[in-house]
Amino acid sequence: MKTEGQIEPVMDLNGSPIDRSSLSCHAPIWQDILAQAVTGEQLAAMNYTSLSEICDDPAEVADALEHAAGERGHAASFAAEGRKIGVDVDNNVDAMHWRRLREAFLGCIAERDFIGCLIVQEIMLESFAVASYARVAKVAPGSLGETFARIAADEEQHVDHAMAILRAERALDPERFDDKVYRLHFDVMTTLAKMLAKECKDGHCEVCHSSCVKPSLGDVSLSAAELRGASLEQYLKALDMLGLPGEVTLAWVTQLPI
Amino acid sequence: MGYAVANLARREPAIEVDFALIGHQESWRAAADILAVLRGGELTALPDDEIKDILPWIPPRTVCHVDIESRAGGNARGLYIDCFIPPDRLEAAYVHENLARVRAAASCAIKSGAKIVSLGGFSSILIEGNFDQLPEKHNTVFTTGNTLTVGFIVQGIKKMCALEERNLRNATLLIIGATGDVGSGCARCLAPVVKRVLLNARNIERLRRVATELEAEGVEGELSTDLQRFPTQADIVICAASLGCPSLLLDRIAPHALVCDAGYPKNLSPNAGLVGATVFFGGLGQIAGGLSFTPDFFGILNRHPFPNVVHGCLLEGMALALEGRFEPFSKGRGFITPKRVAEIETIAARHGIHLAPFSNADGPLERQFEYQTQSSRRWVAGPVRPPSERT
Repeated sequence: MKTEGQIEPVMDLNGSPIDRSSLSCHAPIWQDILAQAVTGEQLAAMNYTSLSEICDDPAEVADALEHAAGERGHAASFAAEGRKIGVDVDNNVDAMHWRRLREAFLGCIAERDFIGCLIVQEIMLESFAVASYARVAKVAPGSLGETFARIAADEEQHVDHAMAILRAERALDPERFDDKVYRLHFDVMTTLAKMLAKECKDGHCEVCHSSCVKPSLGDVSLSAAELRGASLEQYLKALDMLGLPGEVTLAWVTQLPI
Repeated sequence: MGYAVANLARREPAIEVDFALIGHQESWRAAADILAVLRGGELTALPDDEIKDILPWIPPRTVCHVDIESRAGGNARGLYIDCFIPPDRLEAAYVHENLARVRAAASCAIKSGAKIVSLGGFSSILIEGNFDQLPEKHNTVFTTGNTLTVGFIVQGIKKMCALEERNLRNATLLIIGATGDVGSGCARCLAPVVKRVLLNARNIERLRRVATELEAEGVEGELSTDLQRFPTQADIVICAASLGCPSLLLDRIAPHALVCDAGYPKNLSPNAGLVGATVFFGGLGQIAGGLSFTPDFFGILNRHPFPNVVHGCLLEGMALALEGRFEPFSKGRGFITPKRVAEIETIAARHGIHLAPFSNADGPLERQFEYQTQSSRRWVAGPVRPPSERT
């Protein structure tokens, strides 16, 4: 056979380096990102404290309170990162979305529904935290990025432990368990989806210190769409690990508000 | 935390699964239609920009159940698992990401208890040279499905030549993507029965290996990584490349060439400018016994102008499941021979799986044939023309 002889390059596997934003000029953006993180951690601390009140076993009470202290420690770490860049980081657990999330958790507490509490906190809220923090850690410079990465890893450990308990619970009665997850999904994930939407359609979130931070996220190499996508991916993977049917959970996620 | 962990007994899958089909969508429209079905008719459809934002984050997972019936009387139940590879991320830059998606989809199939898994479209291309990268398989076997795809491409070429009264033995055959499993399989089946063969692919060393193999069989031809370098115009073309190119064939084919686009995604864009050529989609088969999806994705997962039409790569797994032959029939790259093609065609035919009616981007071609036959071979305008109009 005749041969023409040139080998064309088959693929280019070189990745592009990640842009890292400077802190000083973007301090107001980091301030709002940190405010959301501190609020989430404070809310988690409150949730674990509430959980301790429905635990019967003293060891479980101690564990829940230890977790609450851990979450307060995370909030303090984020606030300290704010001080390093010269901004005050407020938190507002009474802001409209966060308040609704707290109410959903308290609904489970009122029913002394320990499993429901774990589903809300460890599967739904922590999926959001782990995925968002991990994305922020990739672009935040210096100790700010390191803090987000460290806390994302801490939160992932919580999820791993809760996963074993929840899988055991699901094994007892999958249908009942999946129904419970769906009820809580409808309430909690609808609220989270509104928080993660590309635009805040319900007005100001009451956490950002002035106007909504979402349109400015691109300045620090983030986007609302990316944070939402990563959070939903983490959530779907968590539900997969619990053993819920993938086609069912995908339908749930596609039905969330945008 | 110290909460008691109850017995973590493994539950058996609720429904026994014979086969799993791993695939992905070749267009944003197709991906949007899948999400629309899952979202339900009561909610407004997701806007296109939201779909492009969300889809890349969806982990591979089961989308629906698939039931098929054999003409021989049996039936089989399976799953369709989508890798959710974004349609604009099929190029080489995303190969590692896409391979990870196919691996995750394979894990879903294994977890479901599927006995045989067919790898559709790009997942087959990614895995055909990387079978060792599939997860530990337990009782699940994987097939690329490429042997039946080759069978339907070859059948299609032969049938279309017969319908258009073309003489295959006088033809110059061009295979684009000739070093891939499908392209090289087509070369082994068709090169001995055509006058001359032109082989095109991106990697010259692999092209030389295919050419050497064919030369040993007495086949004459040429090879090139650049279509423009071939001195001869082809009058039959098989597009089996892994990626499309709108200007792939311009000026390099005879005025009235027969072009089989067997790519997934399609190698040729609808406006490829192949004026005068007969273009048809190849590698497709039809299940006479029927197939159904739960939930109902009919016409969405099988986006063809004829019912029950599926790509050959997926049909191979279904045929083997109906046959009860749970084996990796197509594995690796470069092992498809005419004998293996005949074997899988026989199995498929036994269960009522045959070459699909012809179609292309403009719709069905087969109906035109029927019309033309009834009207004393008066041919209507369209891509299929009689010999008198091709000279």
